[in-house]
Amino acid sequence: MVKISVLQHAPSAHLPQRPGDPTPTSRNLDPLMHPFARARERTRALNAAKMERMFAKPFVAALEGHVDAVETMARKPDTLDVVASGSWDGGLIVHDVSRRTKAFYNDQAHKGKVSGVCFGQEGRLLSCGVDRNIKLWNTERSLDDENGAGPSQRKPVSIFPGKSAFNSIDHHRYDPLFATGSNLVQVWDETKSAAVSNLTLPTSTETVTAIRFNLSEASVLASIGSDRSFTLYDIRTGKAERRIIMQMRSNSLSWSPTFPTTVLLASEDHNLYTFDIRSLNNPTQIYKAHVAAVMSCDWSPTGLEFVSGGWDRTVRVWKEGRGSAPEVYHTKRMQRVMSTVYTGDARFVLSGSDDGNVRIWKAHASDKLGIITARERAAIEYRESLKARWKADAEVSKISRVRHLPKPVYKAAQLKRTMLEAQRVKEERRRKHTRAGENKPKAERKKVVIAEQS
Amino acid sequence: MDALVAKADAIKPLFKKRKTAHDARPKAGPSKKPSHNPTTTSVSQHTALPRSLRPSSPPPEDAKKYNHIHNKKLRTQLTRQSTQNARAKKLVKDAELLLTEDAGLMEVEGELEKTWRVGQDEIMGAAGQQAAQGRQEWKLDGGPYRTRYTRNGRHLAVVGKKGHVATFDWQAGTLHTELQLGETCRDITFLQDHSHFAVAQKKYVFIYDRDGVELHKLKSHIEPTRLEFLPYHWLLVSVGNAGYLKYQDTSTGQLVVEHRTKLGACHTMCQNPHNAVIHLGHQNGTVTLWTPNLPHPAVRLLAHLGPVASVSVDPSTGGRYMATAGEDGTVKVWDCRNWKGAVRTWNSRGGNAILDWSQKGALGVATGGSVNVYTKPSIQTPFAAVVPPPLYLTHPIPHRPLTSLRFCPFQDILTIGHSAGVSGILVPGSGEPNFDSSEADPFENKKARREREVKNLLDKVQPDAITLDPDFIGSLAPTPKLTTAVNSSHDIPYARLPRHERLRVSGRADETEDGDNDAVGNDEDDDGQKKRPLTKADKEKKKMRGKNKSLKRYLRKQRKNVIDPRAVAVRAKLEKEREQRRKAQAIASGAEQPHKPSALDRFKRPS
Repeated sequence: MVKISVLQHAPSAHLPQRPGDPTPTSRNLDPLMHPFARARERTRALNAAKMERMFAKPFVAALEGHVDAVETMARKPDTLDVVASGSWDGGLIVHDVSRRTKAFYNDQAHKGKVSGVCFGQEGRLLSCGVDRNIKLWNTERSLDDENGAGPSQRKPVSIFPGKSAFNSIDHHRYDPLFATGSNLVQVWDETKSAAVSNLTLPTSTETVTAIRFNLSEASVLASIGSDRSFTLYDIRTGKAERRIIMQMRSNSLSWSPTFPTTVLLASEDHNLYTFDIRSLNNPTQIYKAHVAAVMSCDWSPTGLEFVSGGWDRTVRVWKEGRGSAPEVYHTKRMQRVMSTVYTGDARFVLSGSDDGNVRIWKAHASDKLGIITARERAAIEYRESLKARWKADAEVSKISRVRHLPKPVYKAAQLKRTMLEAQRVKEERRRKHTRAGENKPKAERKKVVIAEQS
Repeated sequence: MDALVAKADAIKPLFKKRKTAHDARPKAGPSKKPSHNPTTTSVSQHTALPRSLRPSSPPPEDAKKYNHIHNKKLRTQLTRQSTQNARAKKLVKDAELLLTEDAGLMEVEGELEKTWRVGQDEIMGAAGQQAAQGRQEWKLDGGPYRTRYTRNGRHLAVVGKKGHVATFDWQAGTLHTELQLGETCRDITFLQDHSHFAVAQKKYVFIYDRDGVELHKLKSHIEPTRLEFLPYHWLLVSVGNAGYLKYQDTSTGQLVVEHRTKLGACHTMCQNPHNAVIHLGHQNGTVTLWTPNLPHPAVRLLAHLGPVASVSVDPSTGGRYMATAGEDGTVKVWDCRNWKGAVRTWNSRGGNAILDWSQKGALGVATGGSVNVYTKPSIQTPFAAVVPPPLYLTHPIPHRPLTSLRFCPFQDILTIGHSAGVSGILVPGSGEPNFDSSEADPFENKKARREREVKNLLDKVQPDAITLDPDFIGSLAPTPKLTTAVNSSHDIPYARLPRHERLRVSGRADETEDGDNDAVGNDEDDDGQKKRPLTKADKEKKKMRGKNKSLKRYLRKQRKNVIDPRAVAVRAKLEKEREQRRKAQAIASGAEQPHKPSALDRFKRPS
């Protein structure tokens, strides 16, 4: 007796039951059923990398209003899109970024440059300038202001006169306190007209260029100065706690929002440095890509990325811990980028430059704005994982790595590379011709800090 | 910064909201551990991994450990990867749940019963109504027929020698098109799906759409005999009477490459579905394997002592086995990893066999007036004797010649093209029961077909990625055989070596030359005197004058540092002369006896 059975597919299992139902699918994961799976996946990864570059249109909009270079910007804490900017002509604007309108405007906030702005509690805005004044503004629209001539005519709520031109200002996260940097570091109370205390190290004769309060330990204050120093203060003890002197001066600093002991410094030597304040003798990471001094930096609220703007007319968006190959943004008309800031949703980056514009960029160049359906989201995530998986492939990595740069930047980078290489070779030859062990190579990270004081 | 952060930690926060959050956190640190680190305590609540990112389950035990790696980032990444791999491996077992359908089979109970005794009527009786549809007899005029299925097995194309072409959905019984082309047609193939097909006609290849409208005349394919379509590369391959193998990209219309086989007219072609290599069988008995990126065959194999009649590749083992049939009447099964001799050879009655291999590894052999089917373990195990393997199924067909044999994908059907039309027989257990909808779906609707066409176009693999080993993409590059350094003693690249060194490395340097200066002149100063430096008088005395000078100059002039046969011959002659001189001297001094002539000298070769 022979047992016979012949394969037959039941159509009911493979066809939709009712019209309009989705067609049932079946799966067989046997690799023989999927020939060229790897080759096809690589093609898909290649396409994903190409699509990312095709959709990379980072520029969103430019916010006009300043007559001169935008010197400083600050985001209002606890909001996504309210950003204040101050310029060299003394103008002060609070932008509503999502509506692209001005929530507050004063074209003569200070005489001369507005050197620092920051937000206090409940919509209060503090600005300092080279006219030796700190002004406190109320940006909230109040009832008695409605019948006035508009937001531009608002008067400051109070004025704090100082002794010298201010360079920077930052507000305490919880208390009505703020700190300023001029030729000394001072702490002020919003309710008192004179400085509460003076924190400067007795030996220092620097000009303080920027100060920032730590975001989690709100009474820790950091400053950078023109004598190449980075100093940490505690406003409760009222003393400078620790100070390092570096090879070159820094232009900007920013505390990490998620990792309280991490601080980011934008340096004059074209690099950015992150320091862990628990060990200040060397930076945790050096970020190299700018071809001129880095003028500003700001962390993303996620703490995974940060943005920097440079004298080389580019904005760069970095990943934390990855010291090279950042995303680079540039336009033909953007001049030296003096200030950069992340929006609160970490999706956009704002840059203020010498040409008087505040530009809005996407934080990820190829992000889609607008509503993304679930299918599209799944496709995007699949493409991301494909790129991550095939990143070692020469073609895929080349497509996602190569960026077009303006010719001056490209040439400057080339020149810089040549010079550094020549320096390295020279150093190597010098070492070769000195007695063995006399001239040891020094790690790049150990060269940054010259002296540490506490 | 310890002091600072510790001090910062000692201060109570100012806001109520923050206070509660601060107090809510478990105060594990100071109470449990005697060594209290203020920095850690201060930082921990801000730096802890968010709950959503914490690993939900412990990693499996068989995940590889990377404790020896110092770099923390790399170690974390590798550990995560190996954990994921281990988890994925465990999940693969669950995927067997997806295989819902059972393969067909034919089994006997006793020793005396044989499956090949079972006829088609009996199989049809046992088969379900749907499956029995596959038993077909289409009586058609117009010469021997060739057939081809689409990849999902739903649609069938037939072409008669005299120009009758038809494509139809054989399950639904709907005819897509029927053409009378009125000229010799030699082969037919579907392109990406049933919406296009190509016909090898008398002079050129023509592409038609589903409705039979002629879309393209491919004038570069002249007198084609066989066609193949590589679905993942979108390449239409043809070989013709002139012996040119041509690859045409059907997505861009470009003729990718044409190879001159130099082996005359070719009537046999098949593709390996797993690496897209084209197998050709030639008139002189060789089988050649071709890829677009090589101008010569990747493999050349002398398979038969006469023209090759048919070639087929086994899809069930990833293209590991190839079967060939020759006009000498033998059928051979080859292992594509090791070409030293066939795995199994047998003689088929009736000569000139046509072969096809099914998805599950059943080999159909059509010879003379019957079709025989052999199954897997026996045809692929090495067996020295030239006897046919155990027969699985046989079916007589009275219409000679049998010209084509195709197994239907995802069905237990074997379709035979012959001189009186096309017939289909049931072969239980030949088809893969579980199809994958993402690759080939017999039940797909119009929308799914369109989507698949677009997706496949996006995933098109480039033609130069075709190699014998399809897994080379994404694998590590082998270490290059050619390094710049010559060998372990030189670290100078070959091109920068001096000429003599280069010759020495490549084995062409004339190493004997240094010796022959003294070989010519050193007859008298052999022994004893070597250590003492020669005085000027000695040098003058030993200086060679006159003797054999022209020959020496000739040798010196000929010194090219390359082994030259003439220089070698001259050197050998010199050597011989020197030997004779030495012998004469030895005889004269009485050290040696002169050679006595013997009777056997007449057999000596004159030298």
